[in-house]
Amino acid sequence: MSSATVTTTNAANPANPSSAAGLTTAGRVRHAFNSILPAIILSIVVLVVWEAISRIFKLPQFVLPAPSSIGKILITRQASLSQAAWVTAEEILYGFLLSAVVGMLIAVTIARFERMGRAVYPLMVLFQNVPKIALAPLFILWFGYDLAPKILLIVVMAFFPVALNMLVGLQSADPNLVTLMRTVGASRTEILMRVQIPNSLPYLMSGIKIAITLSVIGAIVGEFAGASAGLGYMIQFASTQMETSLVFAALIQISLLGMFFYYAIEFIEWKYISWAPKL
Amino acid sequence: MRMLPETTMPPPSPTATGIDQAHIWAKGVSVDFSHAGQTNRVLHNIDMSIPKGGFVSLIGPSGCGKSTLLKVLAGLLQPAEGEVRVAGVSPAEAARQRRIGLVFQEATLMPWKNAIDNVKVLMEVAYKDKPKAEIADRATEMLRLVGLEKAAEKRPSQLSGGMRQRVAIARALAMDPEVLMMDEPFGALDAITREEMSEFLLEIWQRTGKTIVFVTHSIDEAVFLSREVHVMGTGPARIVETMPITLPYPRVEETYSLPGFAVASGRLRRLLKDGHGSKAAS
Repeated sequence: MSSATVTTTNAANPANPSSAAGLTTAGRVRHAFNSILPAIILSIVVLVVWEAISRIFKLPQFVLPAPSSIGKILITRQASLSQAAWVTAEEILYGFLLSAVVGMLIAVTIARFERMGRAVYPLMVLFQNVPKIALAPLFILWFGYDLAPKILLIVVMAFFPVALNMLVGLQSADPNLVTLMRTVGASRTEILMRVQIPNSLPYLMSGIKIAITLSVIGAIVGEFAGASAGLGYMIQFASTQMETSLVFAALIQISLLGMFFYYAIEFIEWKYISWAPKL
Repeated sequence: MRMLPETTMPPPSPTATGIDQAHIWAKGVSVDFSHAGQTNRVLHNIDMSIPKGGFVSLIGPSGCGKSTLLKVLAGLLQPAEGEVRVAGVSPAEAARQRRIGLVFQEATLMPWKNAIDNVKVLMEVAYKDKPKAEIADRATEMLRLVGLEKAAEKRPSQLSGGMRQRVAIARALAMDPEVLMMDEPFGALDAITREEMSEFLLEIWQRTGKTIVFVTHSIDEAVFLSREVHVMGTGPARIVETMPITLPYPRVEETYSLPGFAVASGRLRRLLKDGHGSKAAS
């Protein structure tokens, strides 16, 4: 690692107090605010333009509702939106956790048992090319309208980036470090536990970030295919009723949910593997 | 725990040529690499003999097989022909007996562990029955030896290149090997740090009495450090000449300006050019 890499690592590392050196708490808050300010301004501009277009051209509400009416729905229908969000969040959480576990197990198995890896890897790639959305009706047929088919759909959609990224991390361990461990008599399992798995964590985290996004999509698709509750179900139901404002409100709710999960993962990453350079 | 020997000067070099006196001994070593059905001879008929407590450099242009030779001596690579002995046994056996310590060009530390845990890690694997406190004590002692006791809690990313390499040396020394094999260990460092590390390594050598095999492509580094330099040439890769360096120890900053230093590096430069030239001729 060159010294240049070291500097960037430190700068990108929020756990390192030196990167926020000399800043008071108020200063830090102002700094954080300034960094998201452009995004806020852009959002406001888009909303104002949208509202203006909607009012000037008197667009029918079921085609493109104005932001103000979407906002109104978000507040007045918040009870049912929250209830639906809760159902979807549960699907996302279970599905995501299971896909992370499955992905990690596959990666470790392939890395640890070469022969098994040679059998599993091509099948995994083959399976990745199956359009998983098309499996949703099958899962509904097999497991009904409840949680199970959604979790299954999320797993088949989201395990792959976890497995693939972690596998890259396991296999990219420094060969000299592995040599050193071998010279002192480390077993393959010890090398896996002490070198390969820690080395794979930053890779795993980037796979997991892709997986959480896919999990949100998987939950919604699963609800589209057949459900009696949840935000995806709500979108479908509302669109058949021409309640376009509610469709948008549910979309916003989903985005917020996805963002919450994503930043929860970023937080875990920052907290536990702050040693790693950002991938 | 074994104390480190506190010798101020390494024992004088015996004119070791036979298998009996030599700490590291090689005869007729050749290495072939096969690639796409083609076999290339990367090392040809290497003879060498390194006395116990010696400091020997392998120098040569890139691609001359000096790192390959080091791998053979360290037991990481099986030669196609020839015989190698380290401390009287095969290199693989010597490695198993933990008589060989390795240091690479990159510090090869675990970025997720701090300095002291990086020094501990090989001991933890090798000595599972030893109490944790003993391993921790030994690691602290080694960090003190390399002058990094204050940086024990720092992660590799918080250390400079030279400091990281010191941690790697401490990790190797923690296993108390008889031989330290170093593959261009200062190659990635800037010129000033390099010279500092050279002086530091000589100090460690004189205090611990280890046999050191040092791969480098820097003429100054080879002359400054070594008691003996093996000059390697290409086409076929072989040892062109073994050149003793008679400059007195301890070698310090002033050593660079001794007339003997200039003479030795001049001669080494010529040998390297001749060794390289034979590639063009062949």
